[in-house]
Amino acid sequence: MSAVEDKHAEEIINMEEEKNISQDPISLEELDASDIDDEDGDLILEQKVTINNEVAMKRITEEFKLKDLPWIEIMSVTSSEPIELEDVHDDLKRELAFYQQALEAAKIGREKVKAAGVPFSRPDDFFAEMVKSDEHMEKIRQRLLDETAAVKASEDAKRQRELKKFGKKVQVEKLQERQKKKSEDMEKIKMLKRKRKGAEDFSTDDFDIELDGGNDDKSNKKGKRGLSNRDKKNSKYGFGGKKRYAKSNTAESSADVGGFNPQKNKAPFKGQAKRPGKAKRAANRGRK
Amino acid sequence: MASVYKSAKAQESEKKANGTVDKRINKQRVLLLSSRGITFRHRHLMNDLETILPHAKKDSKLDSKSHLHILNELAELSNCNNCIFFEVRKRQDLYMWISKTPNGPSAKLHVQNIHTMDELKLTGNSLKGSRHILSFDKNFDSAPHFQLLKEMFTQVYGVPKGSRRSKPFIDHVLSFSIVDNRIWFRNYQVVEKNAANTPGYTAKEKEDMTLVEIGPRFCMTVIRLFEGSFGGSTVFANPEFVSPNMIRAAHRREKATKYNSRLAAQSERKAKLKDAEGKESELSTRKVFA
Repeated sequence: MSAVEDKHAEEIINMEEEKNISQDPISLEELDASDIDDEDGDLILEQKVTINNEVAMKRITEEFKLKDLPWIEIMSVTSSEPIELEDVHDDLKRELAFYQQALEAAKIGREKVKAAGVPFSRPDDFFAEMVKSDEHMEKIRQRLLDETAAVKASEDAKRQRELKKFGKKVQVEKLQERQKKKSEDMEKIKMLKRKRKGAEDFSTDDFDIELDGGNDDKSNKKGKRGLSNRDKKNSKYGFGGKKRYAKSNTAESSADVGGFNPQKNKAPFKGQAKRPGKAKRAANRGRK
Repeated sequence: MASVYKSAKAQESEKKANGTVDKRINKQRVLLLSSRGITFRHRHLMNDLETILPHAKKDSKLDSKSHLHILNELAELSNCNNCIFFEVRKRQDLYMWISKTPNGPSAKLHVQNIHTMDELKLTGNSLKGSRHILSFDKNFDSAPHFQLLKEMFTQVYGVPKGSRRSKPFIDHVLSFSIVDNRIWFRNYQVVEKNAANTPGYTAKEKEDMTLVEIGPRFCMTVIRLFEGSFGGSTVFANPEFVSPNMIRAAHRREKATKYNSRLAAQSERKAKLKDAEGKESELSTRKVFA
């Protein structure tokens, strides 16, 4: 106490001396606190006042402190480690530090509360008015749902964009593959024909394989033809462009004979019919 | 002597039998009010504080900003021994006064970065009026002014046991931390894991507690600490505090200098061009083709 008063007196003496010497500009160090009417910090000061009366603060704290109270009356916990952050503006780290501080306090607090014989956790069947209303909580829930939905939608859209980017490439690759397969099949058929010409005794197993390949090719062709049909129909029935005289002959069409193929209407060549064995022929004869 | 002791004891037992003994040891009541010109966000923050602190009494707006000492009388009228006063300046800057009425001390703090409980990002919830655990950063013990503030916060923000509207359970934590010489306020809900809310829960789990933020959150900068309530001599003035007015003025000045420097550059350029023209000679175009 006395130390504080001494300091105060000294300050006042200093100030008076200063006043005697000069009026302007007054260094703010010499001003008494009550002389400065800067409660909201609005005044532009040429020098910041540094008042830090530690002795007085300790005395005041001691005076108004709550003393001799059981912990449960106050329930205050001080953390074991001070928070030190390198960057204050790093929100994530800062909030994590706060969270950890609070979590530590909650854990210590729970032990102490239980030690004091006071219930800590609220039972599930205890219903009372909450800080936030049910409507508000519903809004929060809805927002969380919306957020997850939005994230999912954006991810989907992203994937679609990626697919579209590579779709063209994939298409070209597929076409090339198909072309390759077709040429391979043709090669096989050629081989087969050559074989059949060379030696008539080919095994049935071989033939089966070829047949499979043939079937595959056929199905592929079918899909392709559908597409070309569409194109033909478009050109025929109009998909833009002039429709008159589309079916009538022109000089070019009458000169063109390439489209006619008499082979087209004939049944495809299926190979020579095999002559059955003698016993079979005899049996057949009997059936007739 | 023995008879005196006996009579005293008899009195005590009588009191106990009547049930007239006031069990409350820690009596704290907080007057909560604002000045005029409060914005919606500040008002919501004040309402949040009111819901958090069951021992708070909200009062109507105070008309004056200069005669704050009348707050002491107001607090006395409503039987309060603490006061939180929201002083709003220029309809944008919020200053929070925290005071132990009627004899002090008091503190003036600048409040920034306010997020209220209405925000949908803060997903926690707690009982209205349940008591909370106060959590302080260890930094509060580092300096006398922080120690003083800590004691004030424990009395003002702590809900005393058996206070009128308080509920029996403890389901949230108020945390005060010091970072960057500011005091950061957070409010967390305590969620204890149990078989009902956690699939695959075993009682042996040690980490059985998580926190969810309820709000509000804000950040306070100390401006001054006074010995008295809403007045008296200053015991601490924060040298690092820069008033928001100064910051705004600096911004404006910066803008102004930008414009001024552009004007100066323009006039300089004009002068330079004029200089580059040179003097009229005998052979200059104007003389030759006169």
